Amino acid sequence: MTFSDWLRVDRLPHIYCAGCGNGTVINCTLSAVDQMGWKKEETVFVSGIGCSSRAPGYIVTDSLHTTHGRALAFATGIKLANPSLNVVVFTGDGDLAAIGGNHFIHACRRNIDITVVCMNNMIYGMTGGQGSPTTPRMALSTTTPYGSVEPAFDLCELAIAAGANYVSRWTSYHVKELTRAILAGLRTPGLSFIEALVQCPTNYGRRNRYRQAIDQIEYFKEHGMLVEKARRLREEGKEIPPDTIILGELARRNRPAMGVKA
Amino acid sequence: MKLHVDEKRCKGCNLCTLVCPYRIFRPGKRPNQKGVFVPELDRPERCPNTRLQALYGRTLCGMCQMICPDQAISWEEEKKGEKRKVAIEF
Repeated sequence: MTFSDWLRVDRLPHIYCAGCGNGTVINCTLSAVDQMGWKKEETVFVSGIGCSSRAPGYIVTDSLHTTHGRALAFATGIKLANPSLNVVVFTGDGDLAAIGGNHFIHACRRNIDITVVCMNNMIYGMTGGQGSPTTPRMALSTTTPYGSVEPAFDLCELAIAAGANYVSRWTSYHVKELTRAILAGLRTPGLSFIEALVQCPTNYGRRNRYRQAIDQIEYFKEHGMLVEKARRLREEGKEIPPDTIILGELARRNRPAMGVKA
Repeated sequence: MKLHVDEKRCKGCNLCTLVCPYRIFRPGKRPNQKGVFVPELDRPERCPNTRLQALYGRTLCGMCQMICPDQAISWEEEKKGEKRKVAIEF
């Protein structure tokens, strides 16, 4: 068994643009699910609306493509109705942080035994590149033509504050680490939140001086910093550059979880 | 085993050219039937996975396959009687 056995081959090639990072995150997630050794009948993929949420359509298992922002609400229902199912949620930044913000906070608070993989492309990709809650400061988009003036949302900090059991952040360049992080999240009881920063060459890259998909991947490669190094720099009182992406395992706890298989 | 790029799925994003430690993938120069510039393979027999996957019983490296957003890269078994090129580089 490899991850390619989980794909609906008749549906490929998928709808994503050339160079979109969502396909990479699908590879990593399926690879991790495959290493868990779960059966296809016992695994459910849930998603909301957006580019990232088209992913379960390309996976052979049962899947739900639900309403905008409500993927976690549906996943909660699935998990509590039948705790023997393994639930993985694909979601995007606009889906999770903007319209689904409260669902996300309360899913973390309840600590339901699901794994949430957030493909954060820092923009609303599917609807034409509007600014999302995670659009970095001074980034251009259709609704922020002079640069975004709002500070961006830090989804991982939000998940930690709300009480998720496992939180980590990687990018679509770090495929091996992302696979390992998702695997750790699948193994952890309670809500595991993995944020995967992905490149969006069509709507984000073209407006923000990343001409090719490779350019934004190079940006992730250069600006990523492991959380251990960031902690060390803070202890030494050194400056961390403001555009640094903190990567790695940010939280692992053992709070009481809901919906765990007895 | 041999390295295979599925021209039906590839969209020509060239992410494989970035990650391969052996620089086996090169940006394509000629469009295929769909107008996609599929990356060219530069001496693909150097790929460690083609040589050693059967020996170790697991995927070695596999970075290009993981990062390919279109699931276009795979390793295929040779057919019976098909010629194999073996390269040893120092």
